[in-house]
Amino acid sequence: MSLLKAVIKKLGIILLTLLLVSFAVYAAFELIPGDPALSKLGTDATPEALAALRHEMGLDKPFIFRYFSWLLSCLKGDFGISLSYGRTVSSMIISRIPVTVFLTLFSTLITVVVSIPVAVLMTKYAGRFFDRFTYVVNQLVMSVPSFFAGILFTWFFGMILKLFKPGGYVSYDKDLPGFLFYILFPSIAVALPKCAMSVKLLRSSILEEADKDYVRTAYSRGNSTMQVMYRHVLKNALIPLVTFWSMSVADMIAGAIVIEQVFNIPGLGRILLSSIQNRDYPVVEAVIMLIALVVVVMNLLSDILCKKIDPRLKS
Amino acid sequence: MIKTVKKLFEKYKGFNFCAGLIITAVIFLIAVTGIFYTPYPSTAMNAALKNAAPGAAHIFGCDNYGRDIFSRVMEGIKNTFFISFFTVLLGSVAGMILGAVCGYYGGKLDNILMRLNDALFAFPSILLAMVIIALVGPGAFNVVLALGIAFIPSFARIVRAEFKKQASLDYIAGAKLMGAGDIRIMFVHILPNILPVLISSVMIGFNNAVLAEAGLSFLGIGVQPPEASLGRMLSEAQAFLFTAPWYAVFTGLSIALMVLGFALLSEGISEKK
Repeated sequence: MSLLKAVIKKLGIILLTLLLVSFAVYAAFELIPGDPALSKLGTDATPEALAALRHEMGLDKPFIFRYFSWLLSCLKGDFGISLSYGRTVSSMIISRIPVTVFLTLFSTLITVVVSIPVAVLMTKYAGRFFDRFTYVVNQLVMSVPSFFAGILFTWFFGMILKLFKPGGYVSYDKDLPGFLFYILFPSIAVALPKCAMSVKLLRSSILEEADKDYVRTAYSRGNSTMQVMYRHVLKNALIPLVTFWSMSVADMIAGAIVIEQVFNIPGLGRILLSSIQNRDYPVVEAVIMLIALVVVVMNLLSDILCKKIDPRLKS
Repeated sequence: MIKTVKKLFEKYKGFNFCAGLIITAVIFLIAVTGIFYTPYPSTAMNAALKNAAPGAAHIFGCDNYGRDIFSRVMEGIKNTFFISFFTVLLGSVAGMILGAVCGYYGGKLDNILMRLNDALFAFPSILLAMVIIALVGPGAFNVVLALGIAFIPSFARIVRAEFKKQASLDYIAGAKLMGAGDIRIMFVHILPNILPVLISSVMIGFNNAVLAEAGLSFLGIGVQPPEASLGRMLSEAQAFLFTAPWYAVFTGLSIALMVLGFALLSEGISEKK
């Protein structure tokens, strides 16, 4: 019951956050000098035509009124019309959402799946060669920005080993396995720095847990090292990591947006970037709102997950 | 001077600290030298040297316009270094003031500001910077502005938590009894006590700033040409990856080294005995 209550409270905070973000985004783009009606018609438009278009676009209404009507139509999935392409924003972004979502999911998955065994192995050999060697490699990997890793991958795996064709992106609705294989390398590039960071965090988290009394008790009850590790220590050590991973998802989206440029993938990042350069505000607003939604939902999920792992957090 | 350096070394004898200090010192030297001197003018083109391989005259080789890559890397490091420096300065000072006021006074204002802060904090800082650049346009000054604003929430959060902890301690009550004003308590009494936390977050912030600046200019919305910037060079190098891989490798490595140096340094400071 208390979990349900906490979720409802959290949902309220999420709605408030989204409302705040939407207001900030809308107000920010409102502050920019420039008249959308004027830029649409050109400077030699007659004042009557200008006034008519302004009325049509709703620009003659007060700001707060326009904000709420924009918000209402956003809730219905209508983000307006792109200034530079004249198409509806939703038709432009909807086919690109799965691309970025897959990239982000893949990178998160890789981070989680790789970092847990590596960290466990490191603590098993704590202070020995494997631990020290991995520690140094980890520190190096952490310093390589994902777009540079992506370029190195293109060069090494794409051009020298010819494992994939650089720039040979295939759409997910045409060839799903081909698409998944193509986004594998960009996902690894995005995941690498986060993976190194979670290995480091998890390693110290496990070492800290391993010192506690309940571990000694678990051993004294006759558990093997493996049992203590996987049933007791890891479970507790993972709690800070779940929070870290859920916060990383936001960074992964940002990473995906950058890596899309390296591997020539037409996802949300491409459209966000081109609309920033073209000052196509309805598109920018829509993409930002989408990302904000993903970020807050991920936070909610991690909260629930943490409470599932550790019942003490429920109160 | 030498004595304090010696003391510092004795305090942080670890490998991390020394390696980090050396790398950072070299990077800093390159950044400062880059202001006055580069081996070749960074924009001088030479058609005969298009995509020339590294050699004695051009140790990093030449780019697709025949410009000396080493000179451009030097200038790029200089730009990235100073943009990151001012970004962190803006972000940390503004974040510190915001965090100090919220943490010290608490109450309704704290509640509202921190709710806003959390909403921003959940958002990746490079995306926030992209939105701000969409508003104000690209260029070095705007990048500092955008990234600086984007970094405020993370600093404010840390400083607020520390101020909240300190504000309830006895020495603050003592200072109040002696008639010290709020501003004096905040910046003369509390600030020195939270300095270690602030320093480590500034160092992490600097690294994030380097990565974010490189990312923005890689996307073409950071520093604008003809000014050299590491991110933009990397995106240009991508087109010549097959014919001139050293262009991308040297440029990318210099970004990685900058980050590595500072990461090791902050690691070394935090692991002191």
